[in-house]
Amino acid sequence: MNAASHQFGDLATQLLTESRRSTATDTLFKYNDVLVRSIIREQRQLEGFIQAALNDPKNNPANGGENPAMPTILLYQTAIMRNKRCLLAYHHHRIERLKDLYWAVGGAVPLLLSMPSGSSNVGSQQTGGAASAPSDIRSKLSPHEVDFLRSYAASLLVLRTEAFSSDGTEGLTEDVDLLAPITRPPKDLHVLVRVVRDCGVVSTEQGAIDFRKGHRFLVHRADVEHLIVQGFLEEV
Amino acid sequence: MPDAGAPHILPQDAAEETSYQQLMKHWMNERHAPDILPGQEVLLGKLLDHVRKQSDDVQLLRADPDSSEEEHFRIMLVQTEIERVKFVVRSYIRTRLHKIEKFARFIAATPEMHERLSKAELEHAKRYARLVEYHFNQTVLQSLPEEQRSLEDNVPFMPSMIPQPDKLRPVFVHARQACAPVRLPDGSALTMQKGQISLTPYYVIEQLLLRNEVELV
Repeated sequence: MNAASHQFGDLATQLLTESRRSTATDTLFKYNDVLVRSIIREQRQLEGFIQAALNDPKNNPANGGENPAMPTILLYQTAIMRNKRCLLAYHHHRIERLKDLYWAVGGAVPLLLSMPSGSSNVGSQQTGGAASAPSDIRSKLSPHEVDFLRSYAASLLVLRTEAFSSDGTEGLTEDVDLLAPITRPPKDLHVLVRVVRDCGVVSTEQGAIDFRKGHRFLVHRADVEHLIVQGFLEEV
Repeated sequence: MPDAGAPHILPQDAAEETSYQQLMKHWMNERHAPDILPGQEVLLGKLLDHVRKQSDDVQLLRADPDSSEEEHFRIMLVQTEIERVKFVVRSYIRTRLHKIEKFARFIAATPEMHERLSKAELEHAKRYARLVEYHFNQTVLQSLPEEQRSLEDNVPFMPSMIPQPDKLRPVFVHARQACAPVRLPDGSALTMQKGQISLTPYYVIEQLLLRNEVELV
């Protein structure tokens, strides 16, 4: 760290730039543990400076008047507040992205974690994350983020099974699949799909169908919606 | 089945609205309003009951070998319509969910918000607020010196740490009937005639919206 050019808050700015780039390129970057740690170190250092300024006998305000170190302390305080907000913003931005990913794959957490990274825009494009290293989403997350994702999925599961109607009748899940996509309203009852990955035998309205890679089927959309979302099938 | 015929995007006659049209209206309002509107559980329940009944009927008819070609065609239309109703229901709930999560910590701390949510939604909001706070604590706050761990700093010139609905956001409103006058930010009064469309900050027409005199478009 070059003391001459270093200012408080520089690191936090780097962190925010990363968030912004993440939004701009629609990718989830690897959790920047190193940077987060250095900012936290800076916070401790700043707190130390404040304490030192407060305890300095030179600055003792006992003889009436203001503490002459007040402007210095204010400067440190401002830097602390800014760093803290930047840290929180970075983490918040990441969990928002995670939530987006969660909804994009129809709530399948294990699938999401093992998904090749670099293809965060599921569905809209071919799932060809070949450009980036063959690492999955999980390797980009901090352990706390994996925990968050699991708890979030659990909370939504409770929400979905609890009855929406106040009179306590059947839960909503029976009729409406909340996790199905909401980008385009259904125009057709049936959909022509191509199988991208084997997904075994699935029971549909027309009976059980064995979805083997490369085959095409005309099926009831509601029956296979989740398979399309999770990338097993592709609309033709 | 709710009337599927002409798409009444702006139904003029409030008295003859079907529950599907009501849902469409609440769906659009919810999607356009910056704040969370009162939940429509009763309406949703009614519609879902209807959908369930309709699906059962369809199953029966399909199983019946005597149904004619024309009937099969009609069955298909009904099924498509069912899927579309479900789509709106889904989108409506997800829209609310999005806002609920966005303002989860505000909701958890503000009792007035509670009555607008269903029991399940409120529970989810509280769980989600706890979850986010826990995550912040684990990742950031617990490593900071003790003086810096609060999640409720009130610093002048900095945005609040608890996001709240932005009621200043402009919305397009369509008057469903002649409305009582509302006060605009500059002090003048706005009286909307039936069918009139205006662009105002949300808080100006909030009460009109809750009284169902206007809808957001």
